Amino acid sequence: MWNHVQQSLQSSMSRVMERIATLLPGILAFILAFLLFLFIGWALAWVVRRILTALHFDDRMSGGANAIAEWSPRLTPSQLVGRIIFWCFLTAGVMVGISAFEAGSSESVVSGWILGYVPHIVGAAILLLAGNVLARFVSRSVLITGVNLNLSYARLLSMGVRWMILVLTGAMVLDHLALGGEIVELGFGILFGGIVLALSLAVGLGSRDLVSRSLEREATRTIEDQQQPERIHHF
Amino acid sequence: MAEIEFTEETKQQVERIGSADIVVGVAGSMAPEDLRLRAERIIEDLGSGVPPLRFVFAWPGSGAEPVASLLDRPAHASLTVFPFTPPAHPGSEFWAPVSANQRAILALAASLSARACIVIGSDLGALNAHAIQLFAYAILDRQCGLAMPVYPAGKYDGLVNIGILSPLSRALYGRRIRYPLAFDFATSGAMSARLVRGEPSANHHGNPLLWPVTLAATQSPQDPVGQVHIDVRHQISTEGLELSAVLGQVVGSLFQDLETFAPQWQRIRGSQLAPVWGNAPAEERDGDPIDTRSMLDSFLLGSKNLDEVWRLVLPPNTMLELRRLTRVAPEQFRIADELWAGIVYDFALAYHLRTISRVHLLGALTPLYLGWAASYAREVATLTRAALEQRQEQFARAWEEKKPYLLSRWRWPDRFNP
Repeated sequence: MWNHVQQSLQSSMSRVMERIATLLPGILAFILAFLLFLFIGWALAWVVRRILTALHFDDRMSGGANAIAEWSPRLTPSQLVGRIIFWCFLTAGVMVGISAFEAGSSESVVSGWILGYVPHIVGAAILLLAGNVLARFVSRSVLITGVNLNLSYARLLSMGVRWMILVLTGAMVLDHLALGGEIVELGFGILFGGIVLALSLAVGLGSRDLVSRSLEREATRTIEDQQQPERIHHF
Repeated sequence: MAEIEFTEETKQQVERIGSADIVVGVAGSMAPEDLRLRAERIIEDLGSGVPPLRFVFAWPGSGAEPVASLLDRPAHASLTVFPFTPPAHPGSEFWAPVSANQRAILALAASLSARACIVIGSDLGALNAHAIQLFAYAILDRQCGLAMPVYPAGKYDGLVNIGILSPLSRALYGRRIRYPLAFDFATSGAMSARLVRGEPSANHHGNPLLWPVTLAATQSPQDPVGQVHIDVRHQISTEGLELSAVLGQVVGSLFQDLETFAPQWQRIRGSQLAPVWGNAPAEERDGDPIDTRSMLDSFLLGSKNLDEVWRLVLPPNTMLELRRLTRVAPEQFRIADELWAGIVYDFALAYHLRTISRVHLLGALTPLYLGWAASYAREVATLTRAALEQRQEQFARAWEEKKPYLLSRWRWPDRFNP
């Protein structure tokens, strides 16, 4: 009986080793392809940045690229182009690596599934990034505009808008990844509706006094302004 | 080089006129007949006072206006009145159309090889013989390259100009000019060409506003800049516009020039006195102190909510000082000159570094500005006109003294952060 146990252990060990031996070239090919594309992406992004700087791309774009600058304030247009090129190459590297893994390991099931799923992951990552940037930008815009309009509940509004965009983004990401199925749709509906309801209740009931005071102040100020001529001129 | 392209019709008219001694341009739409009558009156009033000069009065008119009749009926031998079609301009709000027309008038003056160009606001308040004579005196007799106006102002008038535009322009470009952004100003012939052509093309596309003092100080520093007293109170229409939007446009534009002309302003130290000609109008009573409560409330609301935005822009010391201000009693609320100058410099730096979106940045400045305005209005309420002048001079000097701080942060933003 001990011999049988020993034999089955040996055979399973050899099967695992064989499996690793067949996967190893694929893994190595993946790493190699990934590193190669990483280097090419980095080099090409550097070269493109240099060329664009030499061509005064940022200066030329300063008239029409204000929208880009608003969304990505820390990056100049040439840096943005360089970064996009780098990330495109990195994504291509991952895909080529997986393809090489498939060719090297003759494991078409795993790599095929991963390869098919990569566009979903990339799409979801882009959605997540865009959603986060949008949530930050819009919530800050709401906050600043609210404060400049003298709304005491500006922060509440800004937070509500931020969470609505984040929840919407989360639901879109999960949907894009095909995770959760109907639960996501249902969960999103409940959560989104919940936020809107919570905001309504917060503004309508919880912050009723705050809102009414704020509106009253604005209304009183308007009447006062109408009654006495404006004595301060900012311009 | 930023060239202004006129329509064929305007070019033909310029060719027909040939040349002029003085071009007077109106920077906005108005009634052509009114301009014509006023122009004739000015020529008559000037009459014997000045040697015969060829005047050209121009205004931005469209094709529908009675161009031919005006051109064919010159009432005076030395007077020509003609409309021009202004080139398309990027902005359509507040000051952008004014600046576009001002640029066009300067370009016209350069095309006509005028000895002087006088730009007038569209309400025609400054279109009178006295103002024209003063501007012409500053340019033709005193050989100034640029003459800016000094308007009569109450204690609480033009606070954006007093609190940001004038002291910032003075500290950066070294010219003590009261109104660096004005409806009315005059330039010499050479300066007209320089103001139009001196703007870097990128700036011309990006910056919709024209800052004559900035351009004169950076493009032609050897030319003297003077000022003349103009007894006009322009009514600036900001109807339908939020204070933050208007402040954003004006201050954002000044910050943009800061970036464009960084090599020039970094070399300028101190400031030069700009002579003022003409008589200051009689002093007016400003009445009782005003209620600054609403402005103070806006500041307090901003400090409660915009702390996270301000923290990205302002250094810890300034944040501490602002937090202290939120705790003091309203009657003790006062923003020190150095603190306010430092805040504006920090915002200018954040604009340059794109620390946050520029729209957000300029929006976040509004509550701070209102806090300063409340502090200033309270402080000057009891001052006499002479004391007010002294106070404004002291305020502007504080900006000059604080300039090394901006220089250090501009050059080494990461290393120098108190």
